[in-house]
Amino acid sequence: MKKRVLVVATTLSVAAGLVTAITSPPDRLQGDFVRILYIHVPSAWLAFLAFGVTAAGSIGWLFTRRIGWDRIAEASAETGVLFTAITLATGMIWGKPVWGAYWDWGDARLATTALMFFVYLGYLALRRTTSDPYQQARRSAVLGAVAVVQVPLVYFSVKLWRTLHQGLTIRPDGIQMDGAMVMAMLVNLGAFTLLYLTLITFRTDLARLEEAANQNDRSAHNRVTVPRLGEAEA
Amino acid sequence: MTVGFRRSAAIIARRDLKVELRSGEALSVVFPFAVVATWVAPLATDASRNLLRDLAAPVYWLVLLLFGMMIVFRQTALETSAQRRVLALTGLDPAARFVGRSAASALILTLMAGVLIIPILVLYDYRPPSAVWPMVLVITMAAAGLAMLGTLAGDVTVGLRARTSLAPLLMAPLATPLLMGASQTLEALIAEHSIITWVLVLVIANLGLAAAGVISARALEDIAL
Repeated sequence: MKKRVLVVATTLSVAAGLVTAITSPPDRLQGDFVRILYIHVPSAWLAFLAFGVTAAGSIGWLFTRRIGWDRIAEASAETGVLFTAITLATGMIWGKPVWGAYWDWGDARLATTALMFFVYLGYLALRRTTSDPYQQARRSAVLGAVAVVQVPLVYFSVKLWRTLHQGLTIRPDGIQMDGAMVMAMLVNLGAFTLLYLTLITFRTDLARLEEAANQNDRSAHNRVTVPRLGEAEA
Repeated sequence: MTVGFRRSAAIIARRDLKVELRSGEALSVVFPFAVVATWVAPLATDASRNLLRDLAAPVYWLVLLLFGMMIVFRQTALETSAQRRVLALTGLDPAARFVGRSAASALILTLMAGVLIIPILVLYDYRPPSAVWPMVLVITMAAAGLAMLGTLAGDVTVGLRARTSLAPLLMAPLATPLLMGASQTLEALIAEHSIITWVLVLVIANLGLAAAGVISARALEDIAL
């Protein structure tokens, strides 16, 4: 029941996000290309959240050794990689008309985001090297806790370097955006957050089912023995 | 008789360094190979002095990272499962093992970082910062961070068939804060700008890695046994 409510809420909020993104005013300089940012920015924020949750799940596993923490860490890392890929893709699509290039090495945030993407691809690759859930948890928990160091580096990259990427829009001295645009951004942020929650809910369920299936496989393997040649005739 | 944490770490570090001195894997194979690598960039570009001067710092850090990985994942630094079991049976603190192994690798890496400066100065006409001691400190901190990161990546992938390809894949992108912090501090020293921000990045990255290594040491010991 709760899952159904979550799915319905996610669908409605994604639809609302789409409507506000389409009906919000075009930017004075960027024109309609600004609408890409209603996907780009929430994806980036959700990637940060997802990797933060991965770190929390990893630390949770290291302290408690409960497999549930590891499932959350894995689900969140996979979702985070997906959101990071969306961030990079939408950033490149937006960059071509606005900056004149898909990729600019002068942009520190672009470069550090790509590195963060590779770090978490490595995390997922590490998980796939073994099918034993406890071995997976042990190995990846350490990496999940260490890899989160990339998140503040990406976030503060626009402050640390002189970069092409725009600075922080939401600052202590106010929001540097038009009201309708802020509304569209917030609605999309809410929609992406619900989407993230839905994805990790279903992914953790899937992980639980995979483990159960693997255990059944192993127990079936232990019970069934191959008959020796000649036994049947005897 | 129980051996204290610092003494345990020192024993492990000394053992790793002795094995390295006997095998010469880093000193007689990786070091010369790293120096040869610094010759490749000038051969690939024209002999423009200005271009080479611009390339000096990136080539230095790139070679240090790539050949540094060869050092931290060197064959002679690998422990078999049996060796690990013996160490565990002696009651050795796994965190002391992490510190000792990292310290040994850090020493070898610092040595390589020092050796690499020579071809960079000679071949690339590099102008180092006038403040020598801060430069030495920054390079030592970068080497220590790389050593800790390599030890962690090696421990996480221990016993895996894909270890040789996976460990560098995990280490290279995570080395970014260390290399950024170190390279930008040197740039700031040369330009005589403030170095506080970048030193802070370097210090935080090192402290984070040290904490991660010490906290996760027991969980990682379980993998290898």
